Amino acid sequence: MTVRHGATDGAVVRAVLAGDVERYAELVGRYRDRYARYAARMLGSVDAAEDAVQDAFVRAYDRLAECRDPDKFVGWFFLILRNRCFAERRKSRTSVPLEAAGAVAAADRPDGAVETAERRQALQRALLELTPEQREVFVLKHVEGLSYDEIATRVGTTVPSLKMRMHRAYDRLREQLKDRA
Amino acid sequence: MTDFHPLVKQLLDGEVTLAQLPPELRAEGEEALRLLEAVNRDPVALTAAVEARVMGAVRRRAAAPSLWRRLTEPRELHLRWRPWTLAPALAAAAALVLLFGRPGSAPTALAPSPATATVRFVLFAPQAQQVALAGTFNQWDAAATPLVPSGTPGVWTATLTLPAGQHQYAFVVDGARWVPDPAAPTVDDGFGRRNSVLTL
Repeated sequence: MTVRHGATDGAVVRAVLAGDVERYAELVGRYRDRYARYAARMLGSVDAAEDAVQDAFVRAYDRLAECRDPDKFVGWFFLILRNRCFAERRKSRTSVPLEAAGAVAAADRPDGAVETAERRQALQRALLELTPEQREVFVLKHVEGLSYDEIATRVGTTVPSLKMRMHRAYDRLREQLKDRA
Repeated sequence: MTDFHPLVKQLLDGEVTLAQLPPELRAEGEEALRLLEAVNRDPVALTAAVEARVMGAVRRRAAAPSLWRRLTEPRELHLRWRPWTLAPALAAAAALVLLFGRPGSAPTALAPSPATATVRFVLFAPQAQQVALAGTFNQWDAAATPLVPSGTPGVWTATLTLPAGQHQYAFVVDGARWVPDPAAPTVDDGFGRRNSVLTL
């Protein structure tokens, strides 16, 4: 297999569409972990995130010919993963995986930082109580570090709409965390 | 009442600092910042098995494409008017201008200058919803040069005036499928695909 360092997403997508399917691995390797954190925080579990990312890549391959701008593959892929995460959360809305929330916190916990881990776990549990739309804007802004403008571009909405979701999320998180205090 | 004060929400959004809050909101602001301190920003790494499973599924799909995909696979037939076929007519027009043209009269708008040539691209793609031409002459912008449906069903055309020299190009069908011209010579584009070459 020929490794082509630095090939653009668009060049790789076009190569895959032309029949060189092995080059799809370049896109998987490039973005596999980049959105794993987003999926894990959205779904409350690294295992669920792994399933979602894997499924999103296969769906993206199936629909690759619909990617109108191959140079913007990553934005298009994100929307597929986002839909997958939203669908998964709606499906399991009635049973919030509290143990899974703990698993995320425990897996990422620095040694000795018990209090930090507990606060992280409490926040992650509270995040899972939000609507997927509220949780997403919180994750993209405060976990992924995106600005409102960047989030608006990525998810196709307006900044005022995002702020409204976020501000409701702040209030609900405060309420959730007070109840657990 | 559990709602954060609007100014505290601005603090959480990073639009104001704790010091900018009025003294009566400082405690609420500190509580809000503690909430953000609990955000887990540690990276999450998935197992290598993800890539293996994805590529396994991709290979299975590539090896056995669905019947629907095979039936709907677009097949393009490309016809192109080669500029040199217009050479006799252009030579005759140039001779007429030289013989009968008045001094100072502008050249006719339709006559290309010696440094350009008019080329009509024709693509037969009956299942396409849109077709465009991307190449070195439009910075490979797949949206810059759309072909338009001609009077014949399934036939798309575009007429361009291009400068003399060598141009590389490809058709873009439905915004995603890049199709080289089977009737023209091609070169490797450096990424494993072929670009058509037009020399004027």
